[in-house]
Amino acid sequence: MSKLNQIIQAVFKLLLVLFGATFLLALIVRLLPGSPADFYTNALDEQGRQQQIKDLGLDRNVLSSYFHWLFNFVRGDFGPFFMSGGSTRPTSTIIWQAVPRSLLIMLYVQIISLLISIPLGLITAYRADKAADRVISTALFTGSAIPGFALALALGYYLGVRLQLLPTLGYVPISEGLGEHFKHLVMPVLSLSIPLCASYARILRAEIISTLRQDFVTMAVSKGISNSRVLVKHVLRPSSTSLITTAALNMGGLIGGTVIIDQIFALGGLGQQITFAVFARQYLALQSYIALIAVAFIVFTVVSDALIGIVDPRTRNKNA
Amino acid sequence: MLRNLGLFSKISFGWLTLMLFFAIAGPLLPIPDPTAFSDVSGAGLFTPGHLLGTDLNGYDLFANIVIGSRNSLFIAIISVGLGGLIGGILGIAAGYLRGKTDYVLTVFFNIFLSIPNLILSLVLIAVLATSSDPTQTVADGRRIVVIIISLTIVIVPILGRITRGSTLAWSNTEFVVAAKSMGMKDLMIIKRHIIPNVLPSIYAVAFLAVGIVIVVEGALSLLGIGVGQGISWGSMLARSQGDLEYAPTSLFVPLTFLAFTVIACNQVGDSLRQRLDSRESKL
Amino acid sequence: MSELLQVNNLDVRFDTARGLLHAVKDVSFTLQPGESLGIVGESGSGKTVLSRATMGLLTMSTAKKSGSVKLNDLEITQLSRSDLRAKWGTEMAIIFQDPMTALNPVRRIGDQIAEGPRIRLGMSKKDAKQRAIELLKMVQIAEPEKVLKKFPLQLSGGMRQRVMIAIAIACNPKILFADEPTTALDVTVQAQILELISSLRTQLNMALILVTHDLGVVAGHTDKIAVMYAGEIVEIAPTKELFSNVRMPYTEALLNSIPRISNESGVRLPVIEGRLPDPTLPQTGCGFSARCKYATEKCHTERPPLVDGGSGHMYRCFFPLGVNK
Repeated sequence: MSKLNQIIQAVFKLLLVLFGATFLLALIVRLLPGSPADFYTNALDEQGRQQQIKDLGLDRNVLSSYFHWLFNFVRGDFGPFFMSGGSTRPTSTIIWQAVPRSLLIMLYVQIISLLISIPLGLITAYRADKAADRVISTALFTGSAIPGFALALALGYYLGVRLQLLPTLGYVPISEGLGEHFKHLVMPVLSLSIPLCASYARILRAEIISTLRQDFVTMAVSKGISNSRVLVKHVLRPSSTSLITTAALNMGGLIGGTVIIDQIFALGGLGQQITFAVFARQYLALQSYIALIAVAFIVFTVVSDALIGIVDPRTRNKNA
Repeated sequence: MLRNLGLFSKISFGWLTLMLFFAIAGPLLPIPDPTAFSDVSGAGLFTPGHLLGTDLNGYDLFANIVIGSRNSLFIAIISVGLGGLIGGILGIAAGYLRGKTDYVLTVFFNIFLSIPNLILSLVLIAVLATSSDPTQTVADGRRIVVIIISLTIVIVPILGRITRGSTLAWSNTEFVVAAKSMGMKDLMIIKRHIIPNVLPSIYAVAFLAVGIVIVVEGALSLLGIGVGQGISWGSMLARSQGDLEYAPTSLFVPLTFLAFTVIACNQVGDSLRQRLDSRESKL
Repeated sequence: MSELLQVNNLDVRFDTARGLLHAVKDVSFTLQPGESLGIVGESGSGKTVLSRATMGLLTMSTAKKSGSVKLNDLEITQLSRSDLRAKWGTEMAIIFQDPMTALNPVRRIGDQIAEGPRIRLGMSKKDAKQRAIELLKMVQIAEPEKVLKKFPLQLSGGMRQRVMIAIAIACNPKILFADEPTTALDVTVQAQILELISSLRTQLNMALILVTHDLGVVAGHTDKIAVMYAGEIVEIAPTKELFSNVRMPYTEALLNSIPRISNESGVRLPVIEGRLPDPTLPQTGCGFSARCKYATEKCHTERPPLVDGGSGHMYRCFFPLGVNK
């Protein structure tokens, strides 16, 4: 198979999944009992209602309303969001406001998790099976299994309510002050990065331990270079493929986690918007939100595969 | 099988057994009625008469935990069981038959997997649990069924993918190829050779999946889409979130039980997986 | 003393789950500058552990090491880790059996070769790159500039082995430990690599310790040979002397078991019956006694000392072949 052919095949599969996911959502939305129109529209009179139904493409069957939505989606028009009381907002404004916050939070979480987990993984692997390692490993395991919202609630209570150290609600954009921005984000980011960091450190540790047994590590050592150099330049890269894969896979869980954290700390990100849309029964807007998430997730997966290809040349040309 | 487990695993296993006991024997245990108001509200741990304290309504927390464990655990176990069954069958089909079946099934799995767990279940439940009258909420029984169905749907691709991978690996072993070449029927091969070898890896992941479902159920309840009037650990969390300042124990008791149970599930699942890895590395 | 390397009573034991594994038992030998020593033995004889223990590379495991190793009269077993490390690369270097696992799969060849000169010799990036090209030419790799950019995956087995040699000699070590350098290679490539190592030896006036299970390999490329069995050196002699006047029955058996074209067809290959003794059990008598066809009662109970038979020939046997008592 030629390289081009491979790429085309992969892209095709990807697109299939993308369309499938978004179509699935459209289908689910149609599952609502009764007329979908009852839930979506908020127009005050029958004529307005009919108009809104047309705008939403709900007067057609599933397939064509899906394409109608899709056509608008790729143009950036995410459809209307009908608020109670009759007013309408374009969903895109909601998205442009909420999504960057959530993305920022996820970015912070990943950065912090990686920053801490890499040295942690290195150190625990280097001192594997000594007493300190066993204790730390158990701590890491526990840390990785704790649900994010549990940490969020606990942190929120102790640091926020009892000790009053950090604010428990709200989001402050960077433009309004870096200090406040970070203060409001400390607990949300911590709640998500502790389990992630622990999980990364465990994976890295296992990979490094197995890499350390390889001959090329002894070879590198025998050149007379220092242990720290060997660890960083020779051991880290071959051990990182699992980590990258996991980081990408975790994006999905991270998105889910961000949703909950959003709600708990009232950060106004995509999480709150999704919940809001669910309760306001704005399922069409929901469709757009989730389509975005699915797209983002798939993009992350692709990026991580590419990254692995760069970091570890063994995985290139796998199917050649 | 229990012999060589480390201390942590033993503790985890014990905890899970205890939780299961609560779930099964719940109503028969001598605990106060979880829905009974009492005068003591906002009580802390070990208050006389209330082992784990009470919440702001005076509900006994221990009783709620025990009764709540029924919903939380059963929802998890049934979803994973069903999801595992369906996912397992699909996964084996994909891994064994390969070709078009595999392609279609993998794309199918990936479609579901591209939507994060929480969000997928959120949407499913929100949609399925909506009554036709926008002003009324849905009956509790129906809610629980809906939750179970949604979580099952979430679990199917997860376990399906694992099963597929395992089936692929085992299908390439020499004894399976030999069996095929001798003309053994596919269904027979699957029954005799594939299933017994793939099953252990499913068990390991199943425990992890139970942990995931418990967490998702908790999260959903926190978001307001849980079991409604019914009692589950998640609903306990939801109800007590507002009372945090005055009755923190009403939040932390269910939180701790939830967290410990999830950690225990992960531990058991992980140690099962480790034993499995050492077995499968000889493949 | 003009000896480059002096190993005295080197002893290595490992703490394993099965018990104390005595891998190297009281081994002594010397090496002159530029000399090449072959260490021959079956797998499990302890030869690999010996080479690594001599270099001091065992420090990371559960090994208990005792004895003395003197490099140019400096006792290296007592050195601190960083002092010992200073000897690696510049005075002692090692190449391994399987070049695929001994080269870092995610780093380019050029980087791996240039690392030594850059870090240990303080060369600039440019100079180190030049040196790498020089080294690749020395190991007879064509188009060195191109190879610099490649990954180990992209090279053939023989080329990888040459690269490994280039890495090892990059800082001009005085001693090269070659741990089964040809075992993973095709027969034709084996000969080439051995020739290469020999010529590099003379070029760089480098001493060589060639560890292998293959007597044929050491026959043409070593000045002297040490035969190891069950952790002990059982015979050590200049190469010609060993082949013409073999003393130890084990060595004789080894020589006999080399397949030769001149052997009659249809005749079974002579093999050495039995297996290596369990290294976790204490040794009683001569280690080879269980498999030796000349063994006597004495052989089973008393451990033979290393006897000097003259002309640099030492052996560990009560009843050496060809020696009249």
